[in-house]
Amino acid sequence: MNYNWDWNVFFKSTGIGSEIYLDWFVSGLGWTIAVALVAWIVALGVGSVLGVMRTLPNKLLSGVATAYVELFRNVPLLVQLFIWYFMVPDYLPESAQVWFKQELNPATSAYISVVVCLALFTAARVCEQVRTGIQALPKGQSAAALAVGFTLPQMYRHVLLPQAFRIIIPPLTSEFLNIFKNSSVASLIGLMELLAQTKQTAEFTANMFEAFTLATLIYFVLNMSLMTFMSWVEKKVRIPGMMGGAK
Amino acid sequence: MQRPGQRQLVEERETMIRFNNVHKWFKDLHVLNGVSLQVQQGEVVVVCGPSGSGKSTLIRTVNQLESINEGEIWVDGKNVADPKTDLNALRAEVGFVFQHFNLYPHLSVLDNITLSPMKVKGMDRAAADKLAVTLLERVGLAHKKDAFPAMLSGGQQQRVAIARGLAMEPRVMLFDEPTSALDPEMIGEVLKVMKDLAESGMTMMVVTHEMGFAREVADRVVFVDHGQIIEEAHPEHFFTNPQHDRAKQFLRQLLTPMN
Ligand SMILES: Nc1ncnc2c1ncn2[C@@H]1O[C@H](COP(=O)(O)OP(=O)(O)OP(=O)(O)O)[C@@H](O)[C@H]1O
Ligand SMILES: [Mg+2]
Repeated sequence: MNYNWDWNVFFKSTGIGSEIYLDWFVSGLGWTIAVALVAWIVALGVGSVLGVMRTLPNKLLSGVATAYVELFRNVPLLVQLFIWYFMVPDYLPESAQVWFKQELNPATSAYISVVVCLALFTAARVCEQVRTGIQALPKGQSAAALAVGFTLPQMYRHVLLPQAFRIIIPPLTSEFLNIFKNSSVASLIGLMELLAQTKQTAEFTANMFEAFTLATLIYFVLNMSLMTFMSWVEKKVRIPGMMGGAK
Repeated sequence: MQRPGQRQLVEERETMIRFNNVHKWFKDLHVLNGVSLQVQQGEVVVVCGPSGSGKSTLIRTVNQLESINEGEIWVDGKNVADPKTDLNALRAEVGFVFQHFNLYPHLSVLDNITLSPMKVKGMDRAAADKLAVTLLERVGLAHKKDAFPAMLSGGQQQRVAIARGLAMEPRVMLFDEPTSALDPEMIGEVLKVMKDLAESGMTMMVVTHEMGFAREVADRVVFVDHGQIIEEAHPEHFFTNPQHDRAKQFLRQLLTPMN
């Protein structure tokens, strides 16, 4: 194969104002982070509530959470995205429809759809991690909490969840990384995040390999930074005296 | 004469725990089979019996860590099985010490003790800390207040667990085999704390096979087998002159565990 690598392509003008192709990548990265981070925060909140629900004695609440997980884990992410973007808006009340479809700029409505989609999809996965973490705790922990007179919410807040979250930091880290990777589905509904900008650069410049190499590099650095951050968190909350813990 | 004055004093005391014909099933298993028992205020009652006889279940019904199917349990004048009884309030005045300590591993020793007074009783941090330090002094562990449970020996953890129970200023303390998960050299330090507690007048129900403790501290020994109380006696009587064959057999096995 005879390919002419040209790394200068990123500094060439796109022909739009004074923009160079690198600017597209920076803006794409910005959208990727904006999608993934907001979706992650929502997923963590919703997933934790669902995870707690799955461990409650109340059959109705745990049943609702189980049904949620089954639904959101078993429908492919792309299908979910198309449902949120193309179908759900049609079922909104009239005024909300007008707002979503006409008043919002297209990037914002795509952004909202993809954040909702990723957040609810990832919440199902977070839910399962939280449930597993709670169930991994010795039975004696809840007995001890109940025995001193804690209510159920106090027991979760002060005794079970602080321990469960520490246990599940590693699987949560991989969900955190996944949400960044999964955010690339946004390119399919026209949101110009990192992957979409990469494809566009490839099309405009015919320097496809450079574009995808740079994208790979950016995703890689992003992942490494997230992992470093999470292992910092893990160290920060490590329980003194426990296995592997420094004093 | 048998010190009639003192006798009467005991009878006049309030009944702290009263079991009335209590039954409990785990599916088909009849774990508690018509248990009736009274524990007076300030009394120390030791519960013993073979493994699987229902001792843990019995003691856990007092603060409703296990529910019951039939009968009544009154604790400090409240019917624990009555749905109208505020279980959280009841549990707040009944301390429970577990075989495996069950300290909160993510909290320091001090926080283990202050958590429930602060969250359940709304005590402020300063008062709770002060109380915790006093209790830690009482169990001989004031110097460990900033340690975490995983850094402590079993005996130390159990003493912290006792302090945690006492922090709620309970009217009754329940112990479920508090020393049976401990290395032999640590049993004494825990029993010592329990003995001091008994001498301070605490009402105690203790599941244990520590006969030395029972002899020295208990007012009564209750022998449980197959979910029934089959013998109830002063410790001296129970150990020297058990009435039932199963109690005799149990004591024989306790003394010569190899046979
Ligand atoms: N949650 C439960 N579900 C079903 N069966 C149970 C449960 N807890 C206890 N059991 C059974 O009930 C019986 C009494 O158990 P319990 O723990 O009260 O006995 P124990 O006297 O405390 O025994 P040990 O000396 O071994 O602690 C046992 O046969 C036990 O297997
Ligand atoms: Mg037991």
